[in-house]
Amino acid sequence: MSLQNEEAEVIIKVKRFSPEKGNWWQEYKLKVDRFTQFTEALRRIKTEQDPTLAYRAACHMAVCGSCGMKINGEPRLACKTLVLDMVKKYESNVITIEPMDYFRPIKDLIVDLDDFYQKMYKVKPRLYPNEQVLKGEAEHRLKPEDQRMLWKFAQCIWCGLCVSSCPSVRNDPEFLGPAAHAKGFRFLADPRDTITEEREKILLDSAWRCTYCYMCYNVCPRDVEPVTAIKKTRAYTKIAKVKTPVIETGEKHTEAVFNSIFESGKIEEAKVYLSTYGLIGSLRDMIFLLQSGKLKYALVKEKPVENITEVRRILRGE
Amino acid sequence: MSYAYYPGCASHGLSKDVDIATRKVFETLGLKLEEVKDWNCCGGGFLDEYDEIGHIALNLRNLSTVEKMGHTKMVTPCSVCLHSHRLATFKYKENKELRKEAEKRMKGTSISYQGKATAEHIVWVLVRDVGIEKIKERVKRPLSGLKVASYYGCQMLRPEEIMGFEPAFKPHSMEDLIAATGATPVPFPMNKACCGFPLMGSNPKVGIKLAFNVLKSAKDQQADILVHPCSLCHLQLDSLQTRIMSEFNVNWTMPAIYITQLLGLAFGFSPEELGIGKYATEILKSKGVI
Repeated sequence: MSLQNEEAEVIIKVKRFSPEKGNWWQEYKLKVDRFTQFTEALRRIKTEQDPTLAYRAACHMAVCGSCGMKINGEPRLACKTLVLDMVKKYESNVITIEPMDYFRPIKDLIVDLDDFYQKMYKVKPRLYPNEQVLKGEAEHRLKPEDQRMLWKFAQCIWCGLCVSSCPSVRNDPEFLGPAAHAKGFRFLADPRDTITEEREKILLDSAWRCTYCYMCYNVCPRDVEPVTAIKKTRAYTKIAKVKTPVIETGEKHTEAVFNSIFESGKIEEAKVYLSTYGLIGSLRDMIFLLQSGKLKYALVKEKPVENITEVRRILRGE
Repeated sequence: MSYAYYPGCASHGLSKDVDIATRKVFETLGLKLEEVKDWNCCGGGFLDEYDEIGHIALNLRNLSTVEKMGHTKMVTPCSVCLHSHRLATFKYKENKELRKEAEKRMKGTSISYQGKATAEHIVWVLVRDVGIEKIKERVKRPLSGLKVASYYGCQMLRPEEIMGFEPAFKPHSMEDLIAATGATPVPFPMNKACCGFPLMGSNPKVGIKLAFNVLKSAKDQQADILVHPCSLCHLQLDSLQTRIMSEFNVNWTMPAIYITQLLGLAFGFSPEELGIGKYATEILKSKGVI
């Protein structure tokens, strides 16, 4: 970023909404400089041009999570985005601003975040400490390495950008969403927490409903990596007592993948298919493959890894 | 000019046609593909949740072999394999604790990763290193009049800090390659959405729905076929297309072919030579392309 103060005139097109009028686009012209954030741009539009423009913003420094919106289609925090950066990235001084996806718009860029909060509350987002610690009779200990691992997932500012862009949230009501999982895992893996079994019941089934599209990782303004928390949550499946069909299928599949790699160093699709879906499920899919003319590839035998001892040694951790 | 080539388990299995078409395209361009010696699976996107350290070590095993073969670029047609290797090297370089654990696992093995080899997508190599002009020169059969939905999927684009080739919200590599063949690229709203393949391992019902959403979005923009850059999207959108159609009770098809299958057609190969499926061949015939 150069420190030379550049200036430009931009045209900001806002997708506005009101319950009476529905959606409409409105254009505003604005002069900005190198350091103008989008929250500043919106503030100036509201005070100098159009007081009816509604948006949320508070801290202007990426800690309150209020200003999540889509800028040129990208889910971003308005305060953390500089206008001229977007002008340069998209090579145009016309910029579109829309509210976040998925959440119901209330007015202009303000959306209803109730669904987001409900999902967060479901995972019990606080520490449930030991009784003795609460009474002051014992001490809580947290090792530095545990804290380092949990710290990343505790950075969430509840902005909602990840949930708004998650495909699984939109298509699967049973999925708690990336933010809730990051928060839930932060406590699931905290050694000071005492309701681990209850958290497993809340989090495990939902953790197997993520599609690993990395959208949450990509849009998070605090580098929380919710998808990483979901992957780590799945590891608790090994010790879970209650397993739903989604958990069982997921566990069978991941174990089949591991076993195939352990055995031959590669994923043998036929074996993984059978272990995951069983004989009937696999036969049904084979019919679909036959219809597409792809069955001949199901019988292709792949060469196993020669130095399989090395692969097994790596996986066994000897 | 030669590259280390990592086909991935799918390209040597149910997505074998991806491997066949990619080899033909690179051969036509005068580029040699040297298969990584004794390569192992990248984990398929599922190993790192089961054994994070083992995942890093296994991916570095491939890259270490690539370095020993004298290459710095390992090209792969599969976005998941690409993502897996880049994620492993990213974690290895950025996370001191994971690096220590990974080195413990790799001790006593033949792995000696120097940090020089990286995984690259064949699309990146074609666009950045070979160049659109060279590709245009080899086009013998321009696919004019064919409307091709340009699909990216997720693993090749996100997260931007690890993949880094093009902006995750404004990519254009697929459109560039499609335009080079003479066909008309058709962008569509769901062109960067997930095809749902990773969900098939645990919740296939929603996985199929995600695939349907992608295909329907392409259909709504009046595309003839869809082109994608991943061996696993190939499984989801092409091999299982009939399953999607029967599940959602639709009478239309949106055939999905791999990007090098499209390039191969433009270079003059026949659909049979490229392993193109039944539904795609029907559409190509009906549009007068072949």
